[in-house]
Amino acid sequence: MLAARTSASRATRAVRHFATAVDAAGVKVAAADNGEATSTVTFLVKAGSRYQNKPGVAHALTNFAFKSTGKRSGLATIREAELYGGVLSSSLSREHLALTAEFLRGDESYFVDVLSSFVTDAKFTRHELQEYVAPVCAAEAAAAASNPAARALELAHVLAFRNGLGAPLLSAEHDPVDVEAIKEYASTVFSKGNIAVLGTGISQEALTSLLEKSLNTLSASGAPSASASRYFGGETRVEGHGGPETVFIGFGTTGAPAAELAVLTAHLSTKPSIKWSQGLSPIAASLPAGATVEAVLLPYSDAALFGLLVQGATAEAVKAAGTAAVKALKDAANVKEEDLKRAVAKAKFFAASATDGKAGQVAVVGSKVLSGAQPSLDEALSAFEKVNASAVSNAVSSLLKAKPTYVAVGDIKTLPYADELGL
Amino acid sequence: MTIFGPLGPSLASSIKANRGIYKWVKPFADWYAGVAGYRKIGLRYDDLLVEERPDVQRALGRLTDREAYDRAFRFKRASQASIVHDDLPKAQWTPVAEDKRYLKPHVLNVVAEDEERRVWDTIAVQRKK
Repeated sequence: MLAARTSASRATRAVRHFATAVDAAGVKVAAADNGEATSTVTFLVKAGSRYQNKPGVAHALTNFAFKSTGKRSGLATIREAELYGGVLSSSLSREHLALTAEFLRGDESYFVDVLSSFVTDAKFTRHELQEYVAPVCAAEAAAAASNPAARALELAHVLAFRNGLGAPLLSAEHDPVDVEAIKEYASTVFSKGNIAVLGTGISQEALTSLLEKSLNTLSASGAPSASASRYFGGETRVEGHGGPETVFIGFGTTGAPAAELAVLTAHLSTKPSIKWSQGLSPIAASLPAGATVEAVLLPYSDAALFGLLVQGATAEAVKAAGTAAVKALKDAANVKEEDLKRAVAKAKFFAASATDGKAGQVAVVGSKVLSGAQPSLDEALSAFEKVNASAVSNAVSSLLKAKPTYVAVGDIKTLPYADELGL
Repeated sequence: MTIFGPLGPSLASSIKANRGIYKWVKPFADWYAGVAGYRKIGLRYDDLLVEERPDVQRALGRLTDREAYDRAFRFKRASQASIVHDDLPKAQWTPVAEDKRYLKPHVLNVVAEDEERRVWDTIAVQRKK
């Protein structure tokens, strides 16, 4: 019985691995078939806001996904996808644009064709921009602008990285995007070597043969390159109303994000493991009522932004919570062995549970495949084993050495300054 | 007019297809366009299109800013000509070369989209055998 169970679990582990990435029609393809009832195909393009030559172009391109192409109109794409019972979505991050189709097994030839025809043959008509794309962009930008946490993180990226990763993620009203700029951006980013195709619930051979047929007209023009990220830091205060008082205390690193930062985030995270409890975070005990502190880690391919997002109803509560958060961060340099063990376990669990879902797998595997490395889910987890107390304390001291990124959004007359929090 | 769509009834395509008839009709058509008088108040043919219908309204929304501005300007000038009960000075008449169908392609696109939507709305789906 025990032996049978072990072999069964080994079998599922073996299947979970993504096959070695191969080149098909100039794009890298990685797929894993675990026998799910539904399949997912994601085109991950290096076309995030970092690479845009004009602010807002990447955002507009994201919302242009699945509009008219040479093969079918936008309406036909929607209606046919509905008839097949599939879901089409596009999402944008600072580095990647992801075009995803989720569908029932057996419909892969249609959905791969929908994704490929957008990449190779999109029309980008002016009236679709005016009638469908621009209103969605404006609504998303307005929603982000009314969310103090999103505003604080956006400003933090500008202060921390200035160009590249600091470029605005969403398009803004004062930077109108025209259809020619979108066309030009699409023609540069949708090129060979700039796209990775990731499939789950579909075999690598099936996906490769479909892509070789549908992507053979993909251009080989040079993809936009981004200069390596540099960290600057700084302080800014922006008036805001209608939301909680918000302060973001950020620290940036350059180079590939280290596992120590994830452990540090897990150590400081105030999210309890059990419902209705306070949790064991060093910050949780000294939080005033109504104030929250969220440990944020935003990893990118050559940089990371680590920070503490402090929110509260009043500036006094934010000040008290912020002071506690900064103190906890400084104390993390001398973290106790048992606290570290707990943090490592927590970080590892979050990383592992994220890769259980398809979206998480695509996020972990996709950036690896795009950078040319072999995809592996277990590699990300094994890095946590090597984290020890001295590595964490080194990470904390190097974070604190650099100039912090400090953003205050809300009532700027009473919100604390960085030096008032002990930075 | 509604039953013929937003552009009204037209035999133009079948006349253009036949070279003999086209050669015979063209001078008459040119004379008629001049005599209709809209060029004398600075308008273009597409300015006369009935715009009080949703499809033409959507097509009007697709004009570039410059085209929309020029259209509004032509209407103002033509209204003024109507008030003073006179044609414009000859220098301001619309030259034949400028009397282009600037709105027709947009209207045709909108009509095609509406037709496509109607087809999808009333489609009968059959399971693949």
